[in-house]
Amino acid sequence: MTEDNIDDESLRNLQAQTAKLPREITPPADAWAVIKAEIERPRAISGDNGAARVSPIWQRPAFLAAAALLLVAGSSAVTAIALARRNVEGTRVTASQPAVAAERPVANSNGAPATLAEFTLVENDYISTANRLSALLESDETQLAPETIAKLKESLRVIDAAILEARRALAADPANKQLIEMLSTSYNQKVDLLRRTTEMGRS
Amino acid sequence: MLKRLLLALAVALAASEASAQTKVSRGLKINADGAIRIYNLVGSVRVIGWNRDSVLVRGTLGKGNNLHMGGGGAGMKMFIEGIDERNPAPADIEVSVPMRARVWVKTATASIEVSGVAGSLDLYVVGGNIKVTGNPADVNAEAIDGSITIVGSPAWVRAKSASGDVSLNGSSSDVTVSTVSGKIDVEGGRYEKAKFESVTGNIRFAGSFERGGLANFDTHGGTIEVGIPKGNDADFEVVSIAGKVTNRLTSSRPVAGRYGRGSELNTTAGIGGTRVVIKSFKGPVTLLRKD
Repeated sequence: MTEDNIDDESLRNLQAQTAKLPREITPPADAWAVIKAEIERPRAISGDNGAARVSPIWQRPAFLAAAALLLVAGSSAVTAIALARRNVEGTRVTASQPAVAAERPVANSNGAPATLAEFTLVENDYISTANRLSALLESDETQLAPETIAKLKESLRVIDAAILEARRALAADPANKQLIEMLSTSYNQKVDLLRRTTEMGRS
Repeated sequence: MLKRLLLALAVALAASEASAQTKVSRGLKINADGAIRIYNLVGSVRVIGWNRDSVLVRGTLGKGNNLHMGGGGAGMKMFIEGIDERNPAPADIEVSVPMRARVWVKTATASIEVSGVAGSLDLYVVGGNIKVTGNPADVNAEAIDGSITIVGSPAWVRAKSASGDVSLNGSSSDVTVSTVSGKIDVEGGRYEKAKFESVTGNIRFAGSFERGGLANFDTHGGTIEVGIPKGNDADFEVVSIAGKVTNRLTSSRPVAGRYGRGSELNTTAGIGGTRVVIKSFKGPVTLLRKD
């Protein structure tokens, strides 16, 4: 399954929509009772020819329940990573923060997700972080010179083009871990650039 | 007659401009390893390490600028305040600080130059350039569209710019350099833990790797050229999704990528011992001998 023919606008729309999705949702009140009943049902179902037919593992309620839990846990983990990723490049003593770990942005490729599914979770987080920083920057924009804003936007365009190009390649080749790492690096750079500019704009 | 009148007017204006500027020279005691924060939006900041336990500020302030400074032995701060924060007049200051001081400087378009400081440096510019000379313990330099130049051997370096270039001429045991479209140029020196990354900026490394170290090079569309001298041993892992890999360092040849596209190269220079990982999306990668 590939989506190599997805166009830029559709991808942006999709990214914008996924960024708006809630981090978690409360399951319906009777969900657990249904899941429990499904788990306790015999797993083999007789087929028309009389042979036992085992339902695919991804259709089993227990698997779906576990997947839902993993999704929530993964989402929380991503948030934790996002909060922690500001200090991954070592510690030192600074003039502004003596004896405190220096703030360092964003995880590097060593912490890049290993699969497309993991990356998709992290990507949502990157997009929402970038959107939040962009909004912050827009509100502070007057504190930066117009030529600086123009150069910043040009740099962001360069990064976005790289992200889009790598994203397309990943859609065509979803198992490529090198692409996932490269894409993660580009997102890191975007978030880091936005964060640095936001901090510099706040004199 | 008209020419003379214009000349006289120009001289008068220049004199008026000069008289609007203010010379400053102010000093303060501080510990030898004290923390110093300097803030100047426009103009220039020059920091020089000296062998005294005091700070001396000298320079020229633009019209309406005021220099504020204060603090104690452990730390002090100074900033230039202008009448019009939206359009500040430039201030050019030279600050002599104790050699082991920890220095923090932030500017907008003012350039920053630091020399002879052995303590730690935190330098931030938006559009100005940063130049560090000497051997500070560590350097954190960030710019948006300014360039960063480091000549010397800080133990720890973090240098980031977006469209500005970053160049290193020295050695470091732990260095990370990042740009978007700016070039990264490393000339000489030995590196133990190193990371160089760009989006479209070209990366050129002409130095050596410390044995047992780890070096990472990442780019999306820039070129990567890594040159090491004879006798420098390293294990290279090169991956390019769509770019060309050229090996002029060893006899190994790149092979087709494991995912059915691009090319990869795993090769050892000498007896190896330092891991060098190079990743490129579409920029060409070249390994070569630099003697």
